[in-house]
Amino acid sequence: MLHLIDIRKSYQVGPTAVDVLKGISLTVEKGELLSIIGPSGSGKSTLMNILGLLEQPSAGTYSVEETRITYDDDRTLSSLRNKMIGFVFQQYNLLPRLTAVDNVGLPLIYRGISEKEISERSMEYIKKVEMQERFHHKPTELSGGQQQRIAIARALVGNPSLILADEPTGALDTHTGQEIMNLFRRLNEEEGITIVVITHDPKIAAQCRRKVELRDGIITG
Amino acid sequence: MIIKANVKEALKSLITAKQRTILALIGIVIGIGSVIGMVSIGTIVQNEALKQFRDMGIDIVSITKDYERQGSDEGFNIDHIYGLPGYSSLIKKVAPYIVSSTQYSYMGQDLYIELMGVDESFFDLNKLYIREGRLLSDLDRNRFFCVIGAEAASILRKAGIKDILGRQFLFGERIYTVVGILKSLPEGGGMRPSGINRGAITHITTAMRAFTTNDITTFMARVDTQDSKAAKAVIENYFSKKAGGLRVRVRTAEELIAQMQKQMQLFTLLLGAIGSIALIVGGIGVMNVMLISVTERRKEIGIRRALGAQRTDIEAQFIIESVTLCFVGGIIGIILGIIISYVFSHFSKWDFLISQSAIILGFCVATAVGVFFGYYPARSASRLDPAAALRE
Repeated sequence: MLHLIDIRKSYQVGPTAVDVLKGISLTVEKGELLSIIGPSGSGKSTLMNILGLLEQPSAGTYSVEETRITYDDDRTLSSLRNKMIGFVFQQYNLLPRLTAVDNVGLPLIYRGISEKEISERSMEYIKKVEMQERFHHKPTELSGGQQQRIAIARALVGNPSLILADEPTGALDTHTGQEIMNLFRRLNEEEGITIVVITHDPKIAAQCRRKVELRDGIITG
Repeated sequence: MIIKANVKEALKSLITAKQRTILALIGIVIGIGSVIGMVSIGTIVQNEALKQFRDMGIDIVSITKDYERQGSDEGFNIDHIYGLPGYSSLIKKVAPYIVSSTQYSYMGQDLYIELMGVDESFFDLNKLYIREGRLLSDLDRNRFFCVIGAEAASILRKAGIKDILGRQFLFGERIYTVVGILKSLPEGGGMRPSGINRGAITHITTAMRAFTTNDITTFMARVDTQDSKAAKAVIENYFSKKAGGLRVRVRTAEELIAQMQKQMQLFTLLLGAIGSIALIVGGIGVMNVMLISVTERRKEIGIRRALGAQRTDIEAQFIIESVTLCFVGGIIGIILGIIISYVFSHFSKWDFLISQSAIILGFCVATAVGVFFGYYPARSASRLDPAAALRE
């Protein structure tokens, strides 16, 4: 489903170029539950941004479902992010002004769907993450775990085939983190959604069916 | 659909940042308010000026001796004036008048009431109507009767004089009896002799005997033709033949209206320019606020981009926010402008008008300012690198 060949990424910091990714080749199959583990500074966030079409690699090819990404058209990239990918972030990244329903509905706004349908579908997905008691609450009125559930509902609402989770349990206590992981495993097993979890926590990585280790911009295992 | 959601979003975000929104609004409100106020006042002034012609008709001309082009400073010969209708059938009626330089004093205080001398047709040509008492007629020849203007009557009342009708007043060295009070007249326009509201009027024959300076410098006439140029030529011709090459200046209603409209255009242009400067300042305020808003919401922009917003969606979101801001400012500004022009017309005692075109203009300008000054911030928001914005 995802196919990376010799992906490199370097940033220009002042006069020197910093190589963050030094040739990553990786294939993610449909229906996988994959973890990418590595210490901070290993380049895992950059890798996730490239997987999520938020950044363009300096070199290498990236193909999504047999189609090579060319990065020359914002419309195509945005549309792929909108329809194919759901993001889950460490800090949840909900918009503080909006209620749970409106936050979950955000990806659908960019599809030109009617307001009524957006709110219906949003509610459906909030039920799926067992947050139906909190439809009209704002993020500040929710606990960390609850916010992350809403964020997962937002990632799911567009019916993507891939979920990219960047340290999804990083800001949560162990128990709540475990609940989130259980939710991911259920989604992966029951709905066949491909999930890539990026983490520095071996316990989280251990719960995924496949583990990729990243160190200093290369895959070490 | 996206627009509706965006407007809702924009309102929410504007309400969240209350202080900033209010500061940006002030600029726009003042800008739009001054444009609307000025355009409205322009309309009110123009309406007031044209009202005189609606009242009097446009078949009136005013004839002045052309002092610039001849040496003699004597006025018109009254018999020449009265001979004019007999000379050409284009001239229906003439109305000569004299204005005295004498002013009325009452118990030691100057009340500045000017006395004019006119004949009966003057009342008809100028559409003067009586409010109390009676008008003067040509039967009042050589008699010391007068009628007074509405404002003059109230000046007298304020000075403590009651029972104005029938009362005798000393103007210069003569005593006049007030026989009537005129209805109030709209000011401005340039055709009607100014100061009728504040003045007193006696018969022209009386005036010629009593006034120290009794030159007739101006008279009015009603012409019977669509072609004011022809009437103008007839009058010029008449005086040139009859009064030994006397040159006169004939001003027709058409000319006055055209002149007035030219002045109004200039006036409106000037006011518009002042308003526009206020608007530009307001617009820069909006741009500033929008730039701050974009900087503060970099993370939000990153999130939206990650969720699938295209650059154009982000651009639209911020432009709509800026237009919404300006639109709200526009509504308040329009209300402010209407209040300004109401206050203006109230104190000038002019008819208050709400200019529809000014309101439409206000909304258009508000939207245009929103788009114009929102474009740069919106564009910079849409150009943000999503990955960098998310790292904030």
